[in-house]
Amino acid sequence: MKKYLMLVAIAVGFLAGIVLVNYLVGRRESFVQPIDFSHAVHAGKYKIPCMACHQGVMMRASAGIPNIEVCGACHSTPMKKTPQELLVYKYVSQHKQIPWYSIYHVPDYVYFSHRRHVLLGKLDCKLCHGDMAALTSPPKTQFLQIKMQNCWNCHVKHGVTTDCSHCHR
Amino acid sequence: MPKYGMMIDLNKCTSCQACVTACKLENNVQIVSEDDAQNGRAMFWMKMLTLEFDGDYPNIRPKALPRNCMQCDEPSCIKVCPVRATYKRPDGIVAQIYPQCIGCRYCMANCPYTVKVFNWDRQAQPVQMEKTYDPDVSVRPKGVVEKCTFCIQRLQKASEKAAVEHRKLEPGDYVPACVEVCPVDAITFGDLDDPKSEVTKASRDYRAFGLLEELGTVPKVRYLNAIE
Ligand code: HEC
Ligand code: HEC
Ligand code: HEC
Ligand code: HEC
Ligand code: HEC
Repeated sequence: MKKYLMLVAIAVGFLAGIVLVNYLVGRRESFVQPIDFSHAVHAGKYKIPCMACHQGVMMRASAGIPNIEVCGACHSTPMKKTPQELLVYKYVSQHKQIPWYSIYHVPDYVYFSHRRHVLLGKLDCKLCHGDMAALTSPPKTQFLQIKMQNCWNCHVKHGVTTDCSHCHR
Repeated sequence: MPKYGMMIDLNKCTSCQACVTACKLENNVQIVSEDDAQNGRAMFWMKMLTLEFDGDYPNIRPKALPRNCMQCDEPSCIKVCPVRATYKRPDGIVAQIYPQCIGCRYCMANCPYTVKVFNWDRQAQPVQMEKTYDPDVSVRPKGVVEKCTFCIQRLQKASEKAAVEHRKLEPGDYVPACVEVCPVDAITFGDLDDPKSEVTKASRDYRAFGLLEELGTVPKVRYLNAIE
């Protein structure tokens, strides 16, 4: 009987372990943005061009998430005093950067350049990021998954090189 | 399509090793532990092969030969790679695709110049190296073979810059770090198919020779040396 109980105890412990590990791993995947930033308000309603905030898209490899000085250009005084807006104002008045969580990342062994695709390739942001101007909250998942197959398919479609060393480094 | 090559003038070279240092920093080449270094696992993409010492102490002058990947036109390394992690690009650069590499080291064994190196381990780098980290080059994981790529990341950037400026890649837009840093301009780099380029002129010099050319590897990194 005792042996039986011990086996049950081990089994329960094992299952609890799996649940705990799943919980911890799962928590690492999910994230909360510090501010519920709405692209629909800025890029949609007020038609602020993407380049105004993501200043690297035409000039550099990385698009870049705007720093607090960019927000400060308009949010130096609270406008409608909604809770989210006041939060931005707090960051602006304290000259503190907003710790955004970025979901689009290529591994360090891949060379991806926005200048190449947006300026030279004349590709729309929508192709890779979806309709950002319709999002009222920060995106939670990648629109076009950053997988080699996805890069490859589009390159084949456009007749662009698929030589490994053009993307890998 | 250009064909990139390099000529190293040994009569100009002072063995200062600036190229060795520049290469190491440009490409995030790992600094290995003391034990590994003692076991012959030190990692260099550009390395000095000491040939002789001229003169007597204290006026001694070492004579060494900077040796990087020869970027062979008939590379023996690519023929043995079972996964095509190394191959020759149309422009002649022998590329190395790190995530594809399975670490079997056949290519190393087949390289007559022994210029490929293996990541036996991944050491924490000295704190002083943090500031020299180059974000344009990936840090190779443990178990991967690497070698000189003629600073291919510089070509990626230079060709994009040229395209933005609506022009073709011009000589001098793209040079590897070792060429740029050499204080006596002993290294010339450029297009071997362009008859007017510096490197083509140098390769026609009577002093020109390649290492182990009799093997038929057709190295595109060659040397100049006057035999007295
Ligand atoms: C070109 C001017 C401009 C810039 C730059 C700007 N905003 Fe705004 N933002 C506005 C305007 C105008 C509103 C008011 C929209 C409304 O409520 O109609 C607003 C509203 C907001 C709101 C409140 C929306 C809501 O749902 O209550 C947040 C949050 C916000 N902005 C965050 C930011 C952040 C973060 C940045 C910096 C990356 C930024 N904004 C940059 C113009 C700007
Ligand atoms: C060909 C596909 C493609 C197109 C077109 C594209 N992007 Fe991206 N974007 C990516 C990829 C891939 C990444 C991840 C890049 C990285 O990790 O460096 C990314 C990352 C980003 C990021 C996060 C950047 C960062 O620095 O963390 C922003 C913001 C962004 N893109 C905005 C834009 C905007 C705005 C446009 C249109 C002007 C655009 N992108 C067009 C593929 C694309
Ligand atoms: C007012 C400034 C502003 C404008 C205009 C703007 N963005 Fe953003 N964008 C941000 C901020 C701030 C973030 C970070 C918060 C988030 O993820 O929503 C962001 C995030 C993103 C991301 C996700 C990056 C990642 O890695 O998580 C993409 C993609 C993006 N923007 C694309 C666009 C596109 C496309 C446009 C034009 C239609 C645009 N943005 C216009 C400020 C702006
Ligand atoms: C929506 C289509 C599309 C997708 C998706 C895409 N690309 Fe491209 N890519 C292009 C086009 C078009 C060009 C040619 C741009 C030009 O005219 O120079 C290009 C060019 C490039 C180049 C330069 C090639 C050269 O000639 O040296 C690189 C590198 C590159 N892409 C990497 C990537 C990577 C990495 C990804 C995936 C994360 C990716 N691309 C996804 C369309 C795409
Ligand atoms: C258009 C750009 C592009 C080209 C061309 C390309 N790759 Fe990739 N590759 C990527 C991207 C982006 C990733 C990272 C995303 C992923 O893991 O799928 C990647 C990842 C990889 C990985 C790691 C996959 C993993 O799951 O860890 C390998 C191996 C690889 N590539 C090999 C190659 C080889 C071999 C070639 C040449 C035949 C090649 N790649 C050509 C963009 C490219």
